[in-house]
Amino acid sequence: MTPTLPGWLRWSWLPPGAFLLVFLVYPLAVLAVTVTSDSGGGVISTLASPTLWQVTGLAAGQAAASTVVALLVGLPLANVVSRYRFRGRAFAQALVTVPFVLPTVVVALALRSLLGDGVPQGLVLVVMAHAYVNLAVVARIVGAQWAQHSGDYESVARTLGASRWRAFVDVTLPSLRPAIAASAAVVFVFSFTSLGIVLLLGDPTTRTLESQILRQTSVLLDFPGAAATALVQLVIVSTVLLLGAAASRRSATRRSRPPALRPLPSSVSGRAAVRITAVIGALIVLAPVAALVASSLRSSRGWALSWWTSLGSVDAGTTRLSPPSEAITTSLTYAALTALIAAGVGGLAAIASLTSGRSRIIAVLALIPLGVSAATLGLGTLLAFGRPPMDLRATGLLIPLAHALVAVPLVIAVVAPSLRSTDTRMSAVAATLGARPTRAFWTTYGPVLRIVMVAAAALAGAVSLGEFGAATFLGRAAAPTVPVQIVRLLGRPGEQSLGVAAVLAVVLVVMTLLLVMLVDRWATPLRRTTAQENPA
Amino acid sequence: MRRRTSPVITANIAVLASALLLAGCASSGTDGSDAVEPAASEPQTVQLLAHDSFVVSDDLITALKEDTGITLEIISGSDAGTMVAGAVLAAGNPTGDVMFGVDNTLLSRALEADVFEPYESPELTSVVPALRTDTAEGRVTPIDFGDVCINIHDASFTDIDAPSTLDDLIDPTYRDMLVVEDPGTSSPGLAFLLATIARYGDGWTDYWAALRDNGVKVAASWTDAYFGEFSGGGEGTRPIVVSYATSPPAEIVYAEEPKPEAPSSSVMADGCYRQVEYAGVLAGARNPEGARVVIDWLLSEGVQSDVPMSMFVFPAREGIALPAVFTDFVPTIDSPLQLPPDDVAAGIAGWLAEWGAVMGR
Repeated sequence: MTPTLPGWLRWSWLPPGAFLLVFLVYPLAVLAVTVTSDSGGGVISTLASPTLWQVTGLAAGQAAASTVVALLVGLPLANVVSRYRFRGRAFAQALVTVPFVLPTVVVALALRSLLGDGVPQGLVLVVMAHAYVNLAVVARIVGAQWAQHSGDYESVARTLGASRWRAFVDVTLPSLRPAIAASAAVVFVFSFTSLGIVLLLGDPTTRTLESQILRQTSVLLDFPGAAATALVQLVIVSTVLLLGAAASRRSATRRSRPPALRPLPSSVSGRAAVRITAVIGALIVLAPVAALVASSLRSSRGWALSWWTSLGSVDAGTTRLSPPSEAITTSLTYAALTALIAAGVGGLAAIASLTSGRSRIIAVLALIPLGVSAATLGLGTLLAFGRPPMDLRATGLLIPLAHALVAVPLVIAVVAPSLRSTDTRMSAVAATLGARPTRAFWTTYGPVLRIVMVAAAALAGAVSLGEFGAATFLGRAAAPTVPVQIVRLLGRPGEQSLGVAAVLAVVLVVMTLLLVMLVDRWATPLRRTTAQENPA
Repeated sequence: MRRRTSPVITANIAVLASALLLAGCASSGTDGSDAVEPAASEPQTVQLLAHDSFVVSDDLITALKEDTGITLEIISGSDAGTMVAGAVLAAGNPTGDVMFGVDNTLLSRALEADVFEPYESPELTSVVPALRTDTAEGRVTPIDFGDVCINIHDASFTDIDAPSTLDDLIDPTYRDMLVVEDPGTSSPGLAFLLATIARYGDGWTDYWAALRDNGVKVAASWTDAYFGEFSGGGEGTRPIVVSYATSPPAEIVYAEEPKPEAPSSSVMADGCYRQVEYAGVLAGARNPEGARVVIDWLLSEGVQSDVPMSMFVFPAREGIALPAVFTDFVPTIDSPLQLPPDDVAAGIAGWLAEWGAVMGR
């Protein structure tokens, strides 16, 4: 029952392809040419070193553990937050995104002050932090698909005598497999390439290739060594993403309905389960945030508002901190631009993945930025677009473009599984009734696209709000983002530094909540109306 | 599935190959255009590359504009190591006109790559004698200096004497009290490692083994060590930390109002490592004349007087009045430890590996 897809769809891979070529392949090629023109021998000797492969093994184990924990915590949250209608749902959905945007140094300090010496630095703490940060990835990607899940087959299974658990394992899980595979691949890749959390909360057993690359680049200036390590990381990450993409393509059911929120379950135990999950999820997310709020309101002399009131005067008249309002504006502008670019590029790539043949590859290629070391891409972009003949720094576009590179894979991970599991019978019916392919396409995919693109754009904006690496490589002192300001403050002594950094972190949390809630609101009216059309 | 995958992979390779080919053409095109003299772009703007700790008062930038017509565009963000790495890769076609913040640890690598174009500032004659000739044959200009020193939280040493030498730190009296930064990820951490190498020579690994056996804690970053582990900085429990000689005055400056009269921590004068920060005109700069003016400006009385309170380092220029918090709370570091930049460049990779082996990291 394959519908006729409109002809323009064959070309939807072009814009994302051009984007990747210019902002990913070209900078990396410039960097590769610069590095290897000096010496190629260093690359080989690094590839032969046992340390490289030892670190690879350790990082893979750590990333696998982080993925499992993130899924175990994220799946119940995805279910509750994306499917049921209850008071505070929009807030809960926004809340889940918060851990994702907090700068790693803030997450690390908050987790440490929260857990004390109860959880020593090392693998366990790193896995906890990665699961915490990546909750949003699981909840958003799986939630976007779960929201479209009709539950009809479960009802049938239950009628036929299957237990609730059996129905979940045999019916629900397989139908969610594309989204679970996509999110698992992304979480694995984020944990495998993690830098800040690994440095701040880890020990020698949690080293990653990214941490090796940073040392080779910034301390040893061993560029061939860094190139070799970056290459290994790229190959491994691409493999994982390819496997994830393959697994998510095997969509089990094509039966779904337009997304709709449902009322809470009628049984007392069902209601309780949803509520308890929501509350536990909120507690997990909020505990480190509460620690931040506390440090923003506490000084050595007790509770005080002085950090909040000094926000505008700290380092006034110097280049260190621009007024917070300016940093907030900068961050929001970058977030909006990132959301636009990433949604456009990623959305087209996801649509291209609907077509058969070559253009589908773009959806896989667009995932590659996740595997490219941030330090590598930062240096490459600097060389390619940070000097004549192409100095793009003054345009202020380099940072949103770099953020978009990281966000596009997430957009695809959110959008593609949902598009692929969309019920295409509508399209067939429309075509039968004489609708042109383009019209039929929008009839089929329009409602889904609207929901998932909003979710994807929110996630992309969140990536931009919290991003630190590219902002430091490509930033200008005149326009620091909020995370950059936080890290600068934390780089000098004094109670005030810590206090005002906590204030800015709280500001970042509030910005994220507002942004995500605002964006989510666009999608809600649609959900309300479709909620009334119950499946036959 | 298998049937689907193989054409995908084939096409994948094809796309990658053509992308590389395209990129190859593109980059050779860039090389070609390098030969052409780049168009002079807005001569009144100078781009200053600086690390993320660079701070200067806004009115000094305004004054520069008024006095010389130069609009200073500061490009900063990354740490000094990453900044120098970028400059080395871009040598000859730089991403700015002038660079500030390369220190004596990184200097050799920048010089090897011919990052700088020689310039001797007329202001150099006003620089303190010890630094006046510290210019790598006129290729860089010293702007400021500071010391990485052991900091001590005074409240923890009312019953016992505080440590006063590097040797004391391996004494069991101070067991589990010291936190240092990983030299592979932190600039003060690396400075402290270099201090121990300068002091103990080949015996430095034995010293670190003794530190390890005495319960030293290694943190990833200065932030983590100072705010996370040091009892004098935040919520930590260890009373001895590797930080800067100027951290105690900074504690006062960045305290809550009303400011305390004295800091809660003090500096151990032994075992400090001297860091000198340099600026230089980048070879191939679009605006070399402007870059030179900016170097003179960095050494001017105005900027040099601003340097202590904005960056918590000492001015390279002679006769600059220091703020009271400096004269009151920073001890005179008589004989700071230092290693020649060439030795650092040659030894650093091996030292970090050996340090990792000793510390099990």
